Parts: sequence; structure tokens; C-alpha cells
Amino acid sequence: MTDMSNITVPPIVSAHGLKKSFGRKEVLHGLDFEIPPGRIYGVIGHNGAGKTTMLNAMLGLTNCEGTIRVLGEDPFARRAHLMENVAFISDVASLPRFLRVRELFALLSNIHPNFSQAKAQSFLEGTDLKPDLKIKHLSKGMIAQLHLAVVMAIDAKLLVLDEPTLGLDITYRKRFYRRLLEDYMTEERTLIITTHQVDEIEFMLSDIMFIRDGSMILHMQMETVNEKFTQLVVNDPTKQAPARALGPVYEETRFGQTVMIFDGVPRSQLEGLGNISTPTLSDLFVALMQRPTANPETAK
Amino acid sequence: MKAFVALVHRELIEHRGAFLMAPLILVAVMFVPTLISFATGRVDGRFTGYLFAAAPTRIYEFGFLAFGAAWCVYLIGVLFFYAADGFSADKRNNAMLFWKSMPVSDFKMLLAKLTATLTILPATIYATALLSALLLFAIAFVSSTLGGVGGMALLGNIALVYVQIALSLALVLVIGLLWYLPFTGLVGAMATVVGRWAIPLSLLLPGLVAVAEWVVLGGLSPVHTHTWRYLSYRADFQVSQGYIENWFTTEAPFSFTTFASDLIARTDWVQTGLGAVFAVVVIYFASEYRRRVNDN
Repeated sequence: MTDMSNITVPPIVSAHGLKKSFGRKEVLHGLDFEIPPGRIYGVIGHNGAGKTTMLNAMLGLTNCEGTIRVLGEDPFARRAHLMENVAFISDVASLPRFLRVRELFALLSNIHPNFSQAKAQSFLEGTDLKPDLKIKHLSKGMIAQLHLAVVMAIDAKLLVLDEPTLGLDITYRKRFYRRLLEDYMTEERTLIITTHQVDEIEFMLSDIMFIRDGSMILHMQMETVNEKFTQLVVNDPTKQAPARALGPVYEETRFGQTVMIFDGVPRSQLEGLGNISTPTLSDLFVALMQRPTANPETAK
Repeated sequence: MKAFVALVHRELIEHRGAFLMAPLILVAVMFVPTLISFATGRVDGRFTGYLFAAAPTRIYEFGFLAFGAAWCVYLIGVLFFYAADGFSADKRNNAMLFWKSMPVSDFKMLLAKLTATLTILPATIYATALLSALLLFAIAFVSSTLGGVGGMALLGNIALVYVQIALSLALVLVIGLLWYLPFTGLVGAMATVVGRWAIPLSLLLPGLVAVAEWVVLGGLSPVHTHTWRYLSYRADFQVSQGYIENWFTTEAPFSFTTFASDLIARTDWVQTGLGAVFAVVVIYFASEYRRRVNDN
């Protein structure tokens, strides 16, 4: 086997000093990050944290200060060219409602050089989506399915999904992410997903970014997250003081138990103080959103 | 090029109601009752026949020209509302982000809309005009035949009339659309920025500019300014003058070649060219606005 670890692969996305202001309000405060190819990124933050602005900067939909390159190109200057290799869903309701499904596919076949009509149709097999249906007559879930079929039928190197399942019920959401993961397994792609339903995508992520108030407070591979952060559930009141002495980054009481999250504390030190586990992303998110910084190191 | 053609076609799909369905409905509304009246004997074939006997092809020429003029008025109306509405339709329909996910620049997207106003959209109205004239001719021919003045000779003559006027109407559309292109471009560009507000603004803007000139440079009134005179000149497409005006007073059959050479000679091609450049420039600026729509 060839050792690939020393080969430098150019990042899919690189940003340096990325800033964005709307009027006097700065919404991105100089972000620095790189996204290597072949990863599945989860971008997580509160409403208004700057996630969509950051994604818009990647997609050439907004002009920012600083430097951002996607597939080596300036996305704002070269959006049209870049979109040959980038697909995105920024709003599940954004498909043109006046078209029928077959008209949409026919148009895209002529407009997008990397769109495969056959592939899009294959994604819809077994669904209720028929070629003669008008998009305006489809339910929200069906539109999401159709939009996903469209973007997955585009042979793109980068797929960006900004709240792709917003407003969908749990069945559609599960099906959506299952199809997405199946597609990811068969294609060489990089995925960037934002969602508030963090726990639903946690299983498929390779990396996470936490954004708070326009700053990146965590950018890390999931393996590192599992190594670095530990959740401790303290049942014995006498163990709370020694646990606190180790400096938890977050503490709360759940059903009479004290739950603490530690950053960088060896698990061997926590053994004997309570039940140890890896925090879920949503627990980690809540914990880290409440402190000033959380080791914003770049994922390697 | 394939993508551009597809984008132009998209405009017809999106606005097929105004440019395809409504004209066909109008044709049906006009002709179905006429046909029923004729079939049930409500139309006096003998009376109509006398008219045809007096001027066998004139009624066809007048009829087609009147229909052509009516369809041109319809086209001007729907193109105005299309420009004022269609250029901002992606934003209003919440489909902007979808179209921006396509490998097509904003300029190309708007240029496709402008191209649609010169090609596929008027072409559908033109096809409807031809259809309505064909139906008119069919009814008139059957009527005149029943009146005793029809026959193969008349059929040949009216076929010739049909071709002559159909070609003339096509020429009027081509030159007229190019002549009015700066207005279409300006309304479309304004709609890209302000949406449907372009409808009142495009009507208000010439008056405001004329008033501004009157206030700054003086004069009898805003309608006696250079701006007003120029806009009046650019708004007037003098198709009914020249050959047509003279032809009405003669008994000569309508001639496409004479009409075409007269219209081409009377057209101010310098202004037409300047207008086309102006339209492309304002569409370019509108596309730069559209490109930054998330920042605006």
C-alpha cells in the first residue's frame, strides 16, 4: 500500500481574514480556515451566528473582505464558472415553481454541463415524484427530495447544504440524509452541511465548525473531538468538588445529576468521579457556546 | 450557446400564460362565436358577398392589417408588463438562489430575458396573429363563396395577400422591437432593482427627467424640453405613415417589397443602434446589482 499521508492535497476551500459587514454591523470577524477534500463538514451555530453568510461567501453570493478561494478560485469573481463544480441547496423552497419535473430536468440538461438527467431520474425512482407534476403542486418534503435529486445528479466536487431539511418531518429528514450519505460513499465529494438538528447528522460528519457571533470557536475533526472532550456524569455529591477542581468547561444539572464537560482533561483523571462518555455534538455545542473561546485550531 | 437558448426558452415556459395561452383564448373568444353565427345562418352571406364583389381582396388586406395592428398593441402591453415583472421574477418567486446555483452569470441570465423580448415571446404572438388571420380568411372565403364571388382565382389572390401581409407584419415586429429595445431594457433593468415598482416608475421617470431639465435649463414647460422632444421621437414608431398612408387611398394590392423598402428607408438606424447599445449597458448594470443581491 502507498502511504498517502505525505502528499499535500490542495484544500477545497481556504479562507483568510474573512470579514463581512452589513452597514455598520460586522457579521464575520476575520475567519481563517481550510477545508480539505473528501470530508463531511458540519457547520453549527445559533441563528444569526454568520453560518449562511460564510456559506454565501464560499458560493460567490456575497462579496467579503479578506481572501476566500474555492477550488482555487475567487467565488465572487468567478461564481458562474465555479458552479460547474459546486452544487448547493440554500433554501428548500427555491426550485422554480412554474416548471414541471420533466421541464426542470430538460432545462438543467441544457444549462448545466455536469447535470445527468438519467441520474436525477434514478434518484426519484420509488418516490411519488412523477415527471408531469408541477413543482408548485408538490409538498415541501417532495420538493426537498427533488432538490436533493437535482444536486446529487450534478457531478460536483463540493456540495453545500444550508439547512436543507428545514421544515421537513423526521421521516423525510432521515431519508434525505440516508440518500445523501449513500451518494457520498459512491462519489468523491466534499460536503458542507448546516442544520439546527445537529444530532441527526452527527453520525455522518468527519469535521465540525462551531460559529458564534461571526467567529469560529471550534474547528476540529470528529476523532479529535472524541479524544479532547469528555462528559462526566457525577452521581455522588462528594465527587462534585474534586471534579470541579479539574476545570470543566460546562456544568449543568439534569434530573438530579451533575453533568460536566471537560476540555483536554485526560480520562484517567476523571475515572472514579462518575460515568465518563463522549459528549454529543448538541451537548458540546451548548457547552462551548457559553465560554469565550474553545481552541479554534485548524483541522489537519 | 445551448444554455443561453435554454434560458430564453425558460422565459416562454414561465410566461406562457401571457404569451401563449391568453392569445389562444382570445382567438377562440373571437372566432368560435363567429363560426357558430356563420354555421347557424346568423351571418348574411349575400350581404358579405356584395362587399367581396366590390373589392374582392381589400377586405382581406384590411382585415389582416387590422388584426396585425391589434396584436401589435397586445404585444406592446404584455412586453411592458413582462419587462416590469419578469426581470425580477426569480427574486419574487424565491427561486433566485436556485438559478444562482447554475453555472450562468447574472448578465447572461438578464441578457436571456432581454433576448426573449426580441425572439421567442413576440414570435408566439406573431404565430397567433397568423392563426387568427388564417381563421378570418377562411371565414371570409367561405362567406364570399356562398355569396357567389368565391373560387380558385380568389383563393390564389387571398393566399398572396396573406403572404404579403404576414411578411410585412414580421418586418414591423423586427424593426419595432429593435426600435423600442432601449425602453424594454430600461424597464427590465429597473424591475431587476425595484421589482414591480418599475411599472409606475418607468411611466414617471421620463416626466421627472423632463421636469428636471425644465427646472435647470428653463423653458415654456416640461413638454417643451429637449428630453421630452427626444423621448417623444423615440416613443413614436411611424409604421402607419409613408407607404401604408398612401396605399389606403389607392386600389393597388398591398406590396410587401414596397412596404419593406419604405419602412427600412424611414427607420432611423443610428438611433436604433444607439438604443440597442443603451439596452445592453443598462442590463449590464442591472446584472451587477443582481450579482450583489444578497448584499443589498
